[in-house]
Order: sequence, then C-alpha cells, then structure tokens
Amino acid sequence: MDAVSRAVESFYGLTTAWGIPWLIPALVIMTIVVSIILGYISVAAMFLIWWERKISAHIQVRFGPMRVGGWHGWAQSIADGLKLLLKEDIIPSRADKVVFVLAPVVVFAAALAGYVTIPFGPGLIVRDLNIGILYMVAISSLTVVGIVMAGWSSNNKYATLGALRSAAQAVSYEVPLVLSLLGPVILAGTMSMGRLVDAQGGTWLGFLPRWYVFPQIVGFLVYFTCALAECNRLPFDIPEAESELVAGFHVEYSGMRFAIFFLAEYANMFAVAAIATTMFLGGWQGPLTTQLPLIGVLWFLLKCYFLIFVMMWLRWTLNRLRVDQLMDFAWKVLLPIAFANLVITSLVVAL
Amino acid sequence: MSMTTPIPIGTQVITERLGETMEEMYVNMGPQHPSTHGVLRLMLKLDGEVITDCIPYIGYLHRCHEKIGENRNYVQIIPYTDRLDYLASMAMNFGYVLSVERLMNQEVPPRAEYMRVILAELQRIASHLLWLGTFGLDLGNFTIFIYCFREREMVLDLFEAVSGQRLNYAFYRIGGMAMDFPDGWIEQCREFLTWFKPRIPEYDALVTDNILFQKRIRGIGVMDGPTAVNYGLSGPMLRASGINWDLRRNDPYSVYDRFEFNVPVFDTCDVWGRFLVRRQEMIESVKIIEQALEGLPSGDIQAKVPKTIKPAAGQAYVRTESPRGELGFYLVSDGTPKPYRYKVRSPAFCNLSALTEMMRGCLVADAVAILGSVDIVLGEIDR
Amino acid sequence: MTVQLGIFYILAAFVVWAAAIVVLGKNIVRAAVALIFTFCGMAALYVLLDAEFLAAVQVLIYVGGITILLLFAIMLTSGISSVTARVVNEQTPFSAIAAIGLLLGLIYASTRGNAAMAAPPRLPETAPFLGRLLLTTYALPFEAVSILLLAAMVGAIVLARKE
Repeated sequence: MDAVSRAVESFYGLTTAWGIPWLIPALVIMTIVVSIILGYISVAAMFLIWWERKISAHIQVRFGPMRVGGWHGWAQSIADGLKLLLKEDIIPSRADKVVFVLAPVVVFAAALAGYVTIPFGPGLIVRDLNIGILYMVAISSLTVVGIVMAGWSSNNKYATLGALRSAAQAVSYEVPLVLSLLGPVILAGTMSMGRLVDAQGGTWLGFLPRWYVFPQIVGFLVYFTCALAECNRLPFDIPEAESELVAGFHVEYSGMRFAIFFLAEYANMFAVAAIATTMFLGGWQGPLTTQLPLIGVLWFLLKCYFLIFVMMWLRWTLNRLRVDQLMDFAWKVLLPIAFANLVITSLVVAL
Repeated sequence: MSMTTPIPIGTQVITERLGETMEEMYVNMGPQHPSTHGVLRLMLKLDGEVITDCIPYIGYLHRCHEKIGENRNYVQIIPYTDRLDYLASMAMNFGYVLSVERLMNQEVPPRAEYMRVILAELQRIASHLLWLGTFGLDLGNFTIFIYCFREREMVLDLFEAVSGQRLNYAFYRIGGMAMDFPDGWIEQCREFLTWFKPRIPEYDALVTDNILFQKRIRGIGVMDGPTAVNYGLSGPMLRASGINWDLRRNDPYSVYDRFEFNVPVFDTCDVWGRFLVRRQEMIESVKIIEQALEGLPSGDIQAKVPKTIKPAAGQAYVRTESPRGELGFYLVSDGTPKPYRYKVRSPAFCNLSALTEMMRGCLVADAVAILGSVDIVLGEIDR
Repeated sequence: MTVQLGIFYILAAFVVWAAAIVVLGKNIVRAAVALIFTFCGMAALYVLLDAEFLAAVQVLIYVGGITILLLFAIMLTSGISSVTARVVNEQTPFSAIAAIGLLLGLIYASTRGNAAMAAPPRLPETAPFLGRLLLTTYALPFEAVSILLLAAMVGAIVLARKE
C-alpha cells in the first residue's frame, strides 16, 4: 500500500541523510518484516490448532477445549505451547545429532520462506517476485528434504520408512500440483502473485467475480487435492498415521522440536490455502477494496480460513488411503487430469 | 514355525537368513499396538510390501478360565464367563446358562426367555457398534468412532439400569435372570431403538457410501466359502463368504424361532462383506428387540432351582450365536456341584486361525483392516 | 567493495564449505545434507546473476528432486550407516595435480577476461524470454532432452521391475 511504501522510502531517505550505507536500513526493514511474518505465523498456527480441535470436536458431537482461558478454551494452544517448551529435550542416543537438530529447522525455514510472496492485501506483499508462484512451489519442496532428514536421523527403522513414504508421496503430488497451478498462470500471463490477484479484479455480468476458480474449476480441485497431500493431511496422512504399522517420521521428536514440526505443518497449511486463494479465489479481491484497501486483508483471510476449514472438515470425515492407492491416484488420475486441464487452457487462451 | 527356530525380531533375521531372498523381512506387530485390539502379537513376514506369512502369537491374556471353572460350582462360573468376551458379556452368560440348563433339563420361564433375547440382541448391537468404531478408527476415520460410542453409551446405560454394571454383568442365572427390568426400562429401550434406527443411514453416509473407505477394504482378506467352512469359521466371517448359517436360524435356541428376522449373507468373501454383514446384523437385531418387547410376557423371571446345583452325571454342549460367531460351552458333570470338565469353544479363536490364510498376498497396510474385520477379543481367544 | 560483491563472497564461501563437506565428509548422510546446502547456495548465486527463474528451478529440481532421490538411495541401502566413506584413495595425487591445474587455469582465464564475459543486458523478467527461446530457437535441443528423459524413465522402470 502507498502508506507502507512511503514510510519505507522516508526511512531510507533519513538514513542516507545520516550517511549510513543502504545495507543497514535494508537489514532493519527485513528484520521488521520477518518479525511480523513470524509473529503472524505463530499466532495463526496457535489459532489453527485451537480451531482444529474445536472443529473436530463439533463434528464428533463433543465440545473440545472448554476450560483453559475461560471462553471455549481459547488459551489451550498457549498452554500447549508452554507445555512443549518446558519438556525435556530428548535426542536418541545413536541418532545423528547434527541432522536431528537441523531437520525441524529446515522444515520450518521452508514453511516460513514461502510467506515472502503471499499477497495479504493490495500492495501488502513482502516482495512481489517475478517468479512468485514458482518460488513458492520450489520452497515447499524443501519441506520434503527436512522430513527425510528427520526420519533418517531418528535412528528408528519405522521413522525412516515413514519419512521415505512421506517423501515419495510429496514428490508424486508435486507434479500435478505445479501443473494445476499453471492454468491461472496462463490465464493471467504472469507468475507474479501480486499481478495474478490484480488480474482477478472485476466481475462478469456484474455479479460473478472474475476469479480463476470458475474457468479453472478442475484445476482448483486438482490443486486442492495435491495441497492436502503436500500437507500430509488425511486422507493422505500415511506418514503421520499412528495406527498403521509404520510410525510417523517425527516419532522420536519431543518438546520444542516437535512443536516446530507442528508449527511448520500449520504454517504450511496456511501457505497452501493462501496459494489457492491467490491463484483461484481472487486473493484479496472483494467488494469495497477500491474505497477501503485494508478490507482486502479481511477478504483474503476469510477465504484462506474457509479453505483451511474445508481441509479440517475433510480430515475428520474421511479415512486414510493406502500408500499404493495414494500413488495410483496421483500418477494415474490427477496427473492426466492436470495435463488435460493445462492443454485445454492453453488452447483456449491461444485461440 | 518349529520351536527350535529362533523367533525373529525386527531385521535381525536378515543377517541370519542371508541365503534366502534379501527382501524378506519380519515385522512385529504388537502385543502393544493401537490396532491389535488386545494383546495379540502378529509376526508378519514381508516380501517388500506384500505379506507372505503371518504368525499370530496368542496367550498373553490366558487366565486359566477353564481350569478355574473346574474348581467353582456352576453358579460361581457365571461371572467368569463375562470376562471371556468382555465386549459381549450377555452373550457369554447366555451360552453358559443354556449349557447348564441343558445339563440339568431345567425349564426357564417365558419372561426370562424373552429378557434373555432382548439383552443378547442389545449386546450384539453394542458389540458391533464398538467393532465399527474401532474398525473405522484403524483406517483413519476418527469421527465414526465417536458416533458409534455415542450409541454404545446408550446401550450401556440400559445395561447399567438393568444389572448395575456397564461391562461385566453376570446377569443371567441358571433357570432365569437375576432381576426383572426396572420401571421405565422398556420405555428407555424403545427410545434407544427410535434414536438408533436413523443412525445406520448416518454411518452409511460417513463410511459405507464413502468411496475411499470402500477402496480400502474391498478385495482384501479374501476367504471363500468352502475354505471358511474348513477352517471352522462362524458368525459374520462365514456369512460374508456366502454361507447362510446362523445358529439363531439353523439351530434355534431359547425363543429365537418365534421372531421374524433376516440373516444377512453376502458373497463378496472379503473385508467389505464382513463389514456389510455386521452392519446389517445391527438392523436385524433392532427388529428382534422390537418384536421381543412387543411380545414380552409377564410372570416370573426365575424358575425354581435347587439351592446347590448338582446336575446328574452327563455332558452337554450348547452352541449360541455370539456377535463373533458360534460360541460353544461344553460341560461334563460328574454329579458334584463343580463341573468335571468345562470347555469353551471360542468363535474368535477359530476365526483367528484363518488369519494367516487371509493375510497372504495382501499389503502391510491391509493387515490392520483384515485383523479388524475378524473382530477378535483376546479374552475369549486366550481364556 | 559493494554490497553485492560482499554477498557474493559470503555465498561463495558457504557453497565451497558445503561442497568440501560433501567431498571430504566421512558420514555419507551428512554429505548428502551438505549437498542440499550446496545446491541452495548455487541457487542464491543464480539470483545474484539475475537468473531468478533458473534459481527457482534449481531449488525445485535439484533440491526437491535429485537430493531426495539421493537420500532415498542412501537410506534404502542396507548397512549404509556402518560404512565410512573413503576420502583418499590411490588416485589422490593425480587428482590433486589435475584440480590445482584447473584452478590455476580458471584464475588465469578470469584475469584475462573475454568479450563473452561481459554482463548481459538485464531483463525485467527472464521466464517469458526463456520460454520463447526454448520453444523457438532451441526447440530441437529441448525435444531431444525430453526424449532422453523419457528413455531414462522407461529404462529405470524396466530395470526396477521384478520379473
């Protein structure tokens, strides 16, 4: 937004007037922005954890957290976070210490780095990269690496198997994910997230918003399914399944390290919902955005949280798929559909 | 597996058996595991992801039930039978007292007969509900578990109202029942049935019609009819393989021949078939209970039995249809108040013996679903 | 010393350090993890060269694909944790000579300079430019590489199938 860029400009002007090299204000701005993003992720993740428990409870005819903090247990996540912080830090004796410690860091860093190109509102992007969506997809593939590292370094045969399964699943579902995201890219003619949202402004026939979900409904459904698989959510949560034979990849992690994995999972969920919102649901577009730009943030968040609600809803309704059925589905069903979607979209655009 | 070969644990076997295929691995499931439904240990021999052999180790819950029975008199054994299949205690009681009554040629008053059927069918519903909930839970569907337990709680409330106990009732007596229904119990039961009837379509919407659920359980754990009969399977396992055999219909005991109900038989021979049989059985049990409540006669609930139950020397084997299959109680009396020999034919034990056959050729992830479909209760298997 | 040059030196040091762990490390899994960092460092260097598309694709393909494959191969090899990688072998002297010779040659070449080393014009967006190039001027190599990849995939599947 203009106010933000004007503030940044004046800050730069001030520091050059004082003779400070431009690196220092750049670093200061970066630190502030990263703190804002980190703060947002922490609060959002805590909210999402509480919300998930509430949604699961209400679907299951029970209440969920009700006591901690008074009204419907809103402080439950804070209590859980505190508890995890205070737990003993256990590293398995024969685990590879360096890799063991590094794995949650990699996963969380990947989840965090994806927030750089999310357009929270008009002009409210950390950096509107030219290759916005490609950057986000590339970063989300880093989480797979962290998972494999976590599984291996636990020195636990079942954790390794679980991690490898998770990696295979994530890599398989990445392909239709990227292909389904290319549809809106072709329609908008750009990979930049900010410009993608701009291209979805306005309406057809006066009432139907020009969101890409309408021409690209198939792409949206393929993307949403692949996003569920990337986040290891049911029905694709074989890597985290407790009642299957193979335990999850984070079975040896406890305390704060486990909290980081958990946080990264919810941060990832928000990131994929944000991508879906930006590419298909028009991002921050909505009524009154020209008069009141900040309301774009509200629309964006509403759409994101709606998609997250659907993800949670699906988790508590459906059951798990078997690993080979999962792979079959990715390669034999989603991939051809995504390809067909891409071909048809490009044909329609070219003609 | 002979007693001389060392029991393989984990991947130790790879080093011992390097001469064989490098791919084969033994994976141990249990005895403590969220999905083994009790203390069962399964040794799965894997070739990659495919199960080539499955060796169940039982006996972790063996409590010398039959030997204890030889040192108790006939009435004292009743609470022990509860703990056999603790998820279907009423059915265990039922089978046992019928066996003693056969031994003694004891008549049972009609009201008690009807009570027995009502409680046994309610127990069938409760047992199948628990099975359905845990089966869904194993496959990853957490919600069906809560829904089934909500209904099961209502049945347990009914049982608590009538017997004072939620789980191990010891309610049946030789020659009748311990107590009559309390006031308002029949209305409460009818309320439960009214509440329960629309629940089955609700479960259908959640699991039965869910294509993901069907994909998980269709085509695995196959056991065709003749093989099932050869293994001595009974209950829903047999009826899912196309064999129309239900002891309530084919060898009626108590007053089951007075009720109209269907016996669900499916011929898919797999886990999906067993799922459908148990689901349908719940619906049929509702019908039986309604008919029994309609025709509940008044009168005594306990016939005159001697103070010390001393059946004449002889033997009796009575088989009943428990939720898991053919439950048999074999009693040999030598004229004393304590049985000379007391044997329980456990349906889950016989059903479990077929597990190896069913597991062969399936993937590891199916092991949990197949085991769930057998509906084992270790208390009954190990006694 | 501009900021860009400083960042370049930091990144270069990071990449060289990670690559050194890859080559000289005894623990093979740690070497694989260091390889991930090498690739990420390379991607950062691409960004410095204004090739942001290439950087993103480097992360996506190399880190998100090839290193995963590498880790798979390492983890599915039984007994891998008990193997320590040999850092030096019989060919070390020869390879040392070759490496030092290459280094000297590169230093000499970079000081000499060349017309081809002039910085190319800065493009606002490399992706559309690359796309157009790949499908027009370089269409034939593109198709040839695709067929090569297809052959590799088919070969891998055929090799991995159990009879």
